[in-house]
Amino acid sequence: MRGQKYIFLLPGLLVLLAIILFPLLFTIRVSLSAWGVSQPGLNWIGIENYVGVLRDQRFWQAMVRLGFLAVGTVIIEYVLGFSMALLVWRDIRFRRVFRVLFLVPMMTTPVIMAVIWRTIFHESLGPANDLLGRIGIAPVPWLTNETMAMVSVMIVEIWLWTPFMFLLLLSGLLSQPREPFLAAAIDGAGPVRTFFNVTFPLMAPISVSALVIRLIEASKIMETVYVLTSGGPGTATETASYYIYIRGLRDFEIGYASSLSITYLIIMIVALTIIAKVLVRTMIGKQA
Amino acid sequence: MAQITLKQIGHSYSGGTRPGDYALCPLDMTWHDGRTYALLGPSGCGKTTMLNIVSGIVTPSQGRVWFDQRDVTGLPTARRNIAQVFQFPVIYGSKTVYQNLAFPLVCRKWASDRIRRKVGEIADLLDLGAKLGKPARGLTADEKQLISLGRGLVREDVSAVLMDEPLTVIDPQMKFHLRRKLKEINDRFKLTLVYVTHDQDEAMTFASEILVMSGGRVVQSGPPEHLFEFPQTTYVGYFIGSPAMNFLDAEGQGDRAVFAGIPLTTAYPGDRVPQGAIRIGVRPEYLEFVATAGENVLAAMVVDVQDHGGVRIVEVEVGGARVKVKLAREKPVPEGPALLRLPPGKIRLYRDGELVPLD
Repeated sequence: MRGQKYIFLLPGLLVLLAIILFPLLFTIRVSLSAWGVSQPGLNWIGIENYVGVLRDQRFWQAMVRLGFLAVGTVIIEYVLGFSMALLVWRDIRFRRVFRVLFLVPMMTTPVIMAVIWRTIFHESLGPANDLLGRIGIAPVPWLTNETMAMVSVMIVEIWLWTPFMFLLLLSGLLSQPREPFLAAAIDGAGPVRTFFNVTFPLMAPISVSALVIRLIEASKIMETVYVLTSGGPGTATETASYYIYIRGLRDFEIGYASSLSITYLIIMIVALTIIAKVLVRTMIGKQA
Repeated sequence: MAQITLKQIGHSYSGGTRPGDYALCPLDMTWHDGRTYALLGPSGCGKTTMLNIVSGIVTPSQGRVWFDQRDVTGLPTARRNIAQVFQFPVIYGSKTVYQNLAFPLVCRKWASDRIRRKVGEIADLLDLGAKLGKPARGLTADEKQLISLGRGLVREDVSAVLMDEPLTVIDPQMKFHLRRKLKEINDRFKLTLVYVTHDQDEAMTFASEILVMSGGRVVQSGPPEHLFEFPQTTYVGYFIGSPAMNFLDAEGQGDRAVFAGIPLTTAYPGDRVPQGAIRIGVRPEYLEFVATAGENVLAAMVVDVQDHGGVRIVEVEVGGARVKVKLAREKPVPEGPALLRLPPGKIRLYRDGELVPLD
């Protein structure tokens, strides 16, 4: 009888095995081989690929860039999302319209929106420079200047993902009890004091969740870079996942790309765990 | 502290004006400076609505609220200068006890040494002096409630202190301590205190005046002992007192109230006793078992005895009705058949649910 429960668990376990465990173990095995165009198949070269990864400056630069991009966009998304949520939280006119409006970017397909943004940012034909020209500002090299390309990628990412932050924070705000806000009003606190003493502390747990979820998502940034800049100009906007894609699926160095993936995975797990712990400690404190 | 006057205050959440639409039916009310009022009633009777109208959380759909000579109906909560303690303790979790108590004063831009003096004074009063440096979220629920109250007391300009069932989430043994503390503070500061509760013990111990509410109306108001002795309606009789007042179907005949064929003497003058169907109300505390038959003595049968520690509640069957008798522990409890006496001075008569006045 007792064995039966495992039979019920089996379908779930099999799926888990097929889509997570097997690919992971297989990737680890592949990363220890020289599988590529000239060596089609598994062989054994030990940790040679990993030694290569350690020396691969382009990869580490992409990692640093990714860190900057992810942290930068997520912080801006948090500030914007929180502001928008605070704006439509209380009874204001057309509240429902605003709520739906703010969510539109999230409902679009990221890759298609990236194509549209590429058009917007087009230096001679795009509406961005056209509008700037009308108010007398010189054309901006949106996608060809190293700094501006990075800014462009960040703008698109922020535009795409702020609604998600907004949605999480709005639901957090709506689930807060009324009394602390009333008590603050009775104590004579203005909007700013109320925010820092009541709203923000009450929202700390959900803020941490929202930030961590978005950081995990943002670390995987790929399609925006791929469509908008293809990592360029040069390697100015190349992120880790895009670089892995280039090495693995364009150069077809399967073995080396696998070792890059595994390295990336380990760094991400460690970094995000530390970030989550730090966020919990600083934002929630001993409450947690 | 201020005198609070409600003039034709009524509220309907739906905006309708038919009698059934009102959460609080239009009423006039004056709460005098320095007195303690308890709004007592079951859930949904309109007591919290009334409190929220006074604090400004709810804007009444009709009528005006006055604090002394000032019409505050349109003023938001923040500008009414009231202190409110909610059902769930509200503290600033990221602050220490001191910072919590000082917060309203910081908002009012007091000088820091003045704040320190005032907070110290109030903290000593609330027995929180030793905990000023501790994070507020580490305190027990009753201490947190004291902080909520303290944030109101530190201010010198408070018009009234409003409490919305502040003891509901407190552990029983802590409840006793906190209730005593609140009473002590109230006696000292002479607060205009409005206290919402559904617990009659809380209302009885606290308030100089109790307002019993039902279905959006104030059914009766007055000092606790008056409500206990002379419940205006059978509803108040049921609601005040534990166990509730006993009600017996009877008939008025001449100057007597006849129950189960036995004419009973009452304190009512002969011409005051209504003729026809009436109800006799008598408190379980005033019923007594006697050894011999006599005036107002009925034959009863003991059905059940509940031991409540200091007292025992004896349920008896008399004339086809069930009646509860509250007996002090030292008094003997009869078994089986017994004789029950209804003291004439303690019998109240009700007609159509309303008390027949004694004089």
